[in-house]
Amino acid sequence: MPLNPDHPQANPLPPNANGPGSRSRLSIFLIGRNWKFTLVRAVIWGIATIIIFPHLLVRVQVVGPSMLPTCPEYSKHWINRCAYLWHEPQRGDIVAIRLAGIHEMLLKRIVALPGESIAFSDGRILINGTVLSEPYETNSCDWEQSPVALTNGEYYVVGDNRTMPAQDHYHGICSRARIIGRLLK
Amino acid sequence: MKIVVQLAVVAAAIAAGLWLWTSVFSSPQHVIRARLKEMARDASFSDSQSIQDGYAAAQTVGDFFSTNVEITLNVPGSPGRTLNGREQIVRTLINLQESVNRLKVDFPDLNVTVAPDRDSATADLTLRAQVDGVRDSVAEEMKVTLKKIGGQWLITHIETVPVLT
Repeated sequence: MPLNPDHPQANPLPPNANGPGSRSRLSIFLIGRNWKFTLVRAVIWGIATIIIFPHLLVRVQVVGPSMLPTCPEYSKHWINRCAYLWHEPQRGDIVAIRLAGIHEMLLKRIVALPGESIAFSDGRILINGTVLSEPYETNSCDWEQSPVALTNGEYYVVGDNRTMPAQDHYHGICSRARIIGRLLK
Repeated sequence: MKIVVQLAVVAAAIAAGLWLWTSVFSSPQHVIRARLKEMARDASFSDSQSIQDGYAAAQTVGDFFSTNVEITLNVPGSPGRTLNGREQIVRTLINLQESVNRLKVDFPDLNVTVAPDRDSATADLTLRAQVDGVRDSVAEEMKVTLKKIGGQWLITHIETVPVLT
């Protein structure tokens, strides 16, 4: 039977399958079959990443002792900006609170929610008159503060390090609009 | 290759067009942002700056303010302070130059809103200041009110914005 070069059985390997000019699987895996389209795709993905990434995650570095011992000074963390897309901030969450923008933020823990009343008595947090159990590690204090009522959209935030006098620790009521996300652990 | 070149040309044309547009038709927001950033640069100083240059820079900073400007500072953990008038601001900056070696001021976040009359504006900004000898920088949110006086945007009022109340 004459061999037909166009027949697959007669010529099972494609021309130049391993010859000069052929591309390795690694090369195809890395660059793709057409490098020009791969380049265009890479540029599009790069631009999309630059635009989208800051809206999903923000890298922060802790400055100051306010969140000790949970967040040591100069430690770096990620803030999840999508954390509150489907539900509202919860008690115990460590949140990033924006100033005029997100280049400088406060990092605090939410201890009281909208509609609640918060007070400090001998260093303990009272929510609606009941002592708040704080399962996370905090530095104890002897703060005293009369009850403060929170309205809709207001959260009470404080750092975990309460060793200093209350007036030296920046804490208080934060509006929901300022909370930009939750610390990723 | 052709499509890559075409995309690059289109991207370059868009960038050039945007640059030209913003250069020729500067919006009040753009002008105010540029002025505030320029003021931050002029207010910053280092120990390599001569005394004469420092005084000149302080006078230049004064030119960004109206004569009757009022600055109200309420920084957590510090007693409140008010500065009245351009002269007091210049004097305060000169005193600062004499007492610290280096000060770096910048506005990492700056949002400008121009009023409908287009003669007044407010800027909500984060002021970040790094003082020589102090380990961490200070960051405060500020509300800056500006008015167009004699064709120039001058600062008439500055106050700190409490983030936590």
